[in-house]
Amino acid sequence: MPTNKPTGAQLVISTLKALGVDVLFGYPGGAIMPIYDALAGSGLRHILVRHEQGASFAADSYARATGRVGVCMATSGPGATNLITGIANAYMDSVPVVFITGQVSTHLMGTDGFQEVDFLGLTLPVVKHSWLVRDAAQIPAILARAFAIAKEGRPGPVLVDIPKDVAASFVEASEMGELPAWTPAAPKAEAIEAAKALIEQAQKPLLYIGGGVHMADADAEMRDFVERTGIPFVSTLKGLGTVSTYHDLHLGMLGMHGTRAGNMAVQETDLLIAVGARFDDRATGKLSAFAPHAKVIHFDIDPAEFHKNRRADVAILGDLKLALPALRPTMPDISEWVKLNKANKWQHRFKYDAPGKGVYAPALLKSLSEKAGKKFIVACDVGQHQMWVAQHCEFEQNRAHLTSGGSGAMGYGLPAGMGAKLGLPDHHVVTVSGDGSFMMNIQEMATLRRYGINLKIVLLDNSSLGLVRQWQELFYEENYSEIDLSDNPDFVEVAKAFGLSAFRITQRHEVEGAIDRLLAADAPTLLHVLIDPRENVWPLVPPGASNAEMMEERWDEPIDSY
Amino acid sequence: MSQSIHIEIDRLEGTLLRVLGLIERRGFHIDEIDLYDLGPDTRGLSVRVRPRDAGRNIDILGLQIDRLYGIKRLEQAPERAQTVRPNAEKLSA
Ligand SMILES: Cc1ncc(C[n+]2csc(CCOP(=O)(O)OP(=O)(O)O)c2C)c(N)n1
Repeated sequence: MPTNKPTGAQLVISTLKALGVDVLFGYPGGAIMPIYDALAGSGLRHILVRHEQGASFAADSYARATGRVGVCMATSGPGATNLITGIANAYMDSVPVVFITGQVSTHLMGTDGFQEVDFLGLTLPVVKHSWLVRDAAQIPAILARAFAIAKEGRPGPVLVDIPKDVAASFVEASEMGELPAWTPAAPKAEAIEAAKALIEQAQKPLLYIGGGVHMADADAEMRDFVERTGIPFVSTLKGLGTVSTYHDLHLGMLGMHGTRAGNMAVQETDLLIAVGARFDDRATGKLSAFAPHAKVIHFDIDPAEFHKNRRADVAILGDLKLALPALRPTMPDISEWVKLNKANKWQHRFKYDAPGKGVYAPALLKSLSEKAGKKFIVACDVGQHQMWVAQHCEFEQNRAHLTSGGSGAMGYGLPAGMGAKLGLPDHHVVTVSGDGSFMMNIQEMATLRRYGINLKIVLLDNSSLGLVRQWQELFYEENYSEIDLSDNPDFVEVAKAFGLSAFRITQRHEVEGAIDRLLAADAPTLLHVLIDPRENVWPLVPPGASNAEMMEERWDEPIDSY
Repeated sequence: MSQSIHIEIDRLEGTLLRVLGLIERRGFHIDEIDLYDLGPDTRGLSVRVRPRDAGRNIDILGLQIDRLYGIKRLEQAPERAQTVRPNAEKLSA
């Protein structure tokens, strides 16, 4: 029956536009068809991926790179379940993404209808909040709340599950209503005073900077704090780049694959100042031996993080943009401590003169980051290559290092690079992936091609699941179980078949030219790099050990060419 | 040793599941549950919980419950991150 009343689906689209969404990622199907019907011709930019997991990761990295809320859509049942890895990824790393899923019609719910799964139930542990929409008139208000919840406080993913009949129904007048205001919590004066007192008494203070700082958009405040106090700092995997990794006082990443200087500083410090960090076990190693001599000041927006893994002597709850500038200690003389750390940093710096003629991945990555310049963004996959990026690339800006930190989800790199490049088209966005990880979302090369997304891909191919192989070598007596990928396809041919440019290098002397060629290309391009399968990531804190017990690099054999 | 938590929750889809799931996932056994009416939009929930190991802290569990949406009040409610919590209950369906 013709009517000029909007449908629920039309409200979804008009609300997304009203909320300022400019790009969303998704994949259609039965239960979400009314929404795709309303999408056509709406002017909203939709990126049709080739797998819903790709959409979820792309929306996640779009949010990380731009600071806006990512949006992702999928249909019910298998479409929705394909999003779960991405939803969990966004949850673990506190990334604001709104996921909109179709659901079977209301009368079919609970009957095991075709493509029905209880998606609200499935995702409860990995969302910040969720709705099952039963009344189309509520769609604008729910979506507006979903966006607000995704961003406010500690950010995270929010799910809006919409049954097909609800999306298709006509609605009486309905609007978003006023967007609820969220007032960031200001820190308590007593907590700031107590922290000030601790810093003023400290002899060996150390900052432990986590991913929460750039999620709070407080990078400038963090940099200012470092400059004002002169306190040396270590970063978590997700905190890298918050303050330039080139900074004199930066001691590198801490934890399992952290730097020797960083982990030594944590062992020695008498005051650890954790900022937007959550004492993750990959960073702390054995908790009981972590920062054993230190008092702890902990800044966070989420009170549930305080005392969770490590008791804080002072917990400062509130928005970092307010809390960091409020803390203005009169600094004690820490020059000896700073000198010691700088000396350690110099003495234990990475070395790049590996013997042999084969490509040495750390040297390649160092050169890549130097050549790519300031507008360099790396999206990593998961494995040895991810740790090499964290160790050897330098990041000068906020949001330049996109990685699946808390969840460690292989398959993140390619769609993440895609989402970041769509969000920041004038940046050099490079995905660094491993052969195992790349295969997990390899189909998104077709999406790059379709939309002409100028992403560059460096594929570090060691013909194996390298990080697992390394653990088997070191901790399972070289019992190599199911890690061999030597029957990989010819990745250059595969990329070409998807319509990308692609080329391969196997020798060290080819590296510089290849990086130049990759960065200069004006179309999505894959650089396939064959590296030595025996290469390992060093240093390494063995699982369950304290950060003081680092295993060191061994170069007993040359890195041969392949 | 078990302890009781008293919570006021909105009649929002999923709130009860969220609370109970969170308690179990964060490492506590649920020994007893009591659910009662506190008006048209609100239910009271008393849960007796027991930590599965010595490393589990009930105060932290309280903070984790408190950050869920749809929790109106938690007995001895710990400090909240938000100064304004918009009422999500209007958007129940
Ligand atoms: C989805 C998923 N499955 C399994 C793992 C476990 N895992 C961690 S690293 C790794 C190997 C990664 O291999 P590759 O992508 O080739 O990278 P490399 O370590 O060789 O650099 C595996 C299997 C994971 N992190 N994610």
